[in-house]
Amino acid sequence: MPSQIVSLVVNGEPREFIARPGTTLLTILRESLGLTAAKRGCAQGSCGTCTVLVDDRPATACLVAVETVADHSVRTLEGVASDGNLDEVQSSFVDNFATQCGFCTAGMIMVAEALLDRDPDPSEEDVIEAISGNVCRCTGYRPIVIAILDAARRRREAGVEPGRPAEEAVSR
Amino acid sequence: MIQAVHLPESPEAAAVHSARGGWIMGGGTVVMPLVNSGAAIRNELVSLRRAGLAGIEVRDGVARIGAAAPLSSVKEHPGLGFLRPALRTIASPTIRNLATVGGNLFVAQPYGDLAVCLLALGATCEITGPGGRREAPVADVLASGVAEGEFVTAVVAALPEPGTWYYHKAMRRRLNSASIVTVASVTHTADGVVTSTRTALGGVAPRPVRAVSAERLMRGRPLSPEVLTEAGQAARADTAPFDDAYASAWYRSRVLPVHLRRAFIG
Repeated sequence: MPSQIVSLVVNGEPREFIARPGTTLLTILRESLGLTAAKRGCAQGSCGTCTVLVDDRPATACLVAVETVADHSVRTLEGVASDGNLDEVQSSFVDNFATQCGFCTAGMIMVAEALLDRDPDPSEEDVIEAISGNVCRCTGYRPIVIAILDAARRRREAGVEPGRPAEEAVSR
Repeated sequence: MIQAVHLPESPEAAAVHSARGGWIMGGGTVVMPLVNSGAAIRNELVSLRRAGLAGIEVRDGVARIGAAAPLSSVKEHPGLGFLRPALRTIASPTIRNLATVGGNLFVAQPYGDLAVCLLALGATCEITGPGGRREAPVADVLASGVAEGEFVTAVVAALPEPGTWYYHKAMRRRLNSASIVTVASVTHTADGVVTSTRTALGGVAPRPVRAVSAERLMRGRPLSPEVLTEAGQAARADTAPFDDAYASAWYRSRVLPVHLRRAFIG
């Protein structure tokens, strides 16, 4: 089967690109669409650094053959800030020194976005479980957990409505 | 090099591609790492994502779970609350959004903890293939797989009665870690004495196994520390432990009785 044209809705914008069979969503985001926030780490789904939201749910983009999510919505770190302003999660990561080398940061923020969209008031245990698929090799998990809890507080205080619950799982 | 990714819209259409040698893929958590590293054993993939196999029905005490249902859907289903603690021990929420029930039956140990649960539940697999549809006990599918061109479309299991479900998994970390020993069991007692038990083990053999030797020792006796220690030691006869990066075979065998006991009485 030759390369084909695939469509995705990326950060709210319809995008089209040409993909060889079996190309991963990560490769398309980085190499066809120029969205390089999602990092290529282990390519096995173990490190979580390529995590993006597919239909509002965290997914390791390295494990998704892009044809299988054609016409679905994908959200990346590039779609988080609006009008050049960091959102609560991003600014909380900065303020709480939760970024360190930065390689895991995009994936960490995307799982935090999904968590807070579903649960505006997560417990510390909820946060730890949510990021359990994301490896930080600076071993700075503590500031990340604090930053996500702080972001939840900031969102509640700002009256940010929880996002649309992800009713449909990725595989639909 | 992958030459094609098929996205059939029905199990029958998937069966056509499977019969032609296409590699059935659920969420991709097993297949895609091999594709990414160039180690894929086939050059055509058949994704079940659009085949209408992601539904979960719980009715009249029976659960029918589509093979392409992601583990997160199982974890969140209100009718399957007894499985929630088990699902929480499998990978991370991110991977559970992708990984499917059907795929879990075919992963190599020490992964596949849901398969251990399904074995304890005595689940049945619905299978589609070139010869049409058939059913088989999950124990058979775990022991010998399915025939060429066949794939699992759903698993069906009776819900355990309240107070009869036991699950415990020993792992290196508290979250997102593979099994050292997994124990799942449906065990009925009357007046404190075991009347029936179906107990499955993960992490201690190449595939999930029934702990038949332990079951034999437990029947007709109380779930006491002494009986469970004896049963746990006997369960070694049902296992074929292996060395891996998580634990040695020696260690797995050594701690099996402890974790079997903990599954029942903490």
